[in-house]
Amino acid sequence: MFNFFNEIKENIKNPKGLEFTGFNIINLSGHLLYVEGHLGLINLSKEMISFKVKGGVVLVQGSEMLLSELSENTIKICGIIKKVEQI
Amino acid sequence: MRFVNHSKFYIHGLNQEKMLNLLSKITKISEIDRKSKVQTSFLCPYFEYKKVEKVLLEHGMKIEKIEHFGLAYNLKRCLTSYGLVGALLCFAVFYAIESQFVLQYDIRGLSTLQKTEIVGFINQNFSSYKPSIDTHKMENELIENFNSISFVSCMIRGQTLVINVKEKLMPEQMYGNFSPIYANKDGRITAVNLISGTLRVKVGDFVRKGDVLVEPYTVDTSGNIKKVEAKAEIVADVYNQGSASHFEHFVEVVRTGRYVVQNQVLLFGLKIYSYNEKIPYKMYEVEKEEVRLNKNILLPFKMQKIKVFELVENVIDSKFDDVKEEYIEKAREKALENVSNCDKIKEEFYNLKQQAGVTVVDYCITTEENIGVVDDC
Repeated sequence: MFNFFNEIKENIKNPKGLEFTGFNIINLSGHLLYVEGHLGLINLSKEMISFKVKGGVVLVQGSEMLLSELSENTIKICGIIKKVEQI
Repeated sequence: MRFVNHSKFYIHGLNQEKMLNLLSKITKISEIDRKSKVQTSFLCPYFEYKKVEKVLLEHGMKIEKIEHFGLAYNLKRCLTSYGLVGALLCFAVFYAIESQFVLQYDIRGLSTLQKTEIVGFINQNFSSYKPSIDTHKMENELIENFNSISFVSCMIRGQTLVINVKEKLMPEQMYGNFSPIYANKDGRITAVNLISGTLRVKVGDFVRKGDVLVEPYTVDTSGNIKKVEAKAEIVADVYNQGSASHFEHFVEVVRTGRYVVQNQVLLFGLKIYSYNEKIPYKMYEVEKEEVRLNKNILLPFKMQKIKVFELVENVIDSKFDDVKEEYIEKAREKALENVSNCDKIKEEFYNLKQQAGVTVVDYCITTEENIGVVDDC
C-alpha cells in the first residue's frame, strides 16, 4: 500500500544515515497540523499545545487552536499555527 | 438532525491532559475544546460513551453534561419513549378490533324502498362483526322479506357493506301521482289535449282558479273505475286586469325650502346636550341624522341632527284628457304584472269609467296559457 511518509524517506538522500523512525508532522498551510507517532499530550490551550514524541517534546504555538482529533498515536490540530518546535 | 452518532462530554477537573491521553487509548476523541484549565468538552463515538464515562468517573472527573447526537440515539430515544410506544400499541389494537366491524352501508339501486328500511332489517337480523356475516344468507333474507326486491347482491368492501338492489317493476296502478289537475287561474278554455284521466271541462267553459279540470281515473265500458295519472294540456284565455284612477282635483304637499335645525348630543341613547330652535311652521316634516363624535368605544358620543322642513299644501287641478295616455300606460303596467314572460298575449283593451271628478282606467290583457296544474297536496 502506498505510504506518503515511506515514499519521502526512500527518495531522499541520507548520507549521514539519520534514523527516520519516531514521529511525523505535516503542517498544512499553517492551519492544520497532522502528527503521527506522538506519545501523549502534555499541555493543551488555545495558544499552545505540547506533546511528547520519541526523543523529546514538540511545542506548537499559535492562536485559536483546537485539538480536532486525538487518538492513540495521531493528533490533528486546527487553528492558526505560528510555530512548531522540538525540544 | 445529525445522522453521525456522537456523544459530547463536558468535564470538570484537574490534570485533563492526562485524562485525554488515557481516553485516546480507549477510543478516538475529537473536537477537544479547552474552555479553561479545569473545563473541557470533547466528542466521542456514541457507541463508546459508556466506556468513556466509566473511565472519567473512575479517575475522579466530574461530568457536567453529556449530549448525544445522531440517528441511532434518536431512534433509541423514540423506542424508549413509553408514551409513544403505548399510543402506537393502543392504536394498533384499536385498529385491529375496529377493522373487524362493518361501519357503514352503501345501498344502491333504491327507488321506492327506503334505505332506512333495509339498514334497520340488517341491523336487526345480522351482526356487524365481519367474519360472522354470511352475504349469501343476507341476500336470501332480503329477497324473502322485501317483496319489491327482485335481485340483490351483498359484499363487504373494507368496512362498508355494499348492497346492490334491483327492484321489481310494478303495474302502472301501483305507482304514480293520482292527483287531479286543477286550474291555477281564472279563464276561458280554448284548447284541450287529454293524455290520460277523465276530462271535467270542455272548450268554451269559463273556469275559476281551483276548479278540477281532469280527474285521475278512467271508467271502462263495464263501469269499473281504474286509477290513472291525470295528464293533459289545458289551454285557456286568461284575463289579466289592471286599473289606474285619475282625480280632477287633488292636494299636493311640497316642501317650501325653509327649514330649522335642532342638535342633540347623545350618550348610550341619553340626551346629554340639546339645542332646540322653536319650530315656526304650521306643517312640517322631520329628517334625523346621527354622526359619531369620536372613535372611543367606551364613550360613544353621538351627534343627532334634526332638520325640520316647512311644508305647504297646493291644490292641483288636472284634466283627464291631458294625461289620458299616461294613466292608460299605468293601468297597462299593472295588468302586465300578472302576465308571465312566456305567456302569449292575444288581445289588449281598456274601458274608462267616469263619475264625480274621478276617472278609472280598466286595462285588460288577454293571454293564452296552460292553466292545468297537478296539486300534490
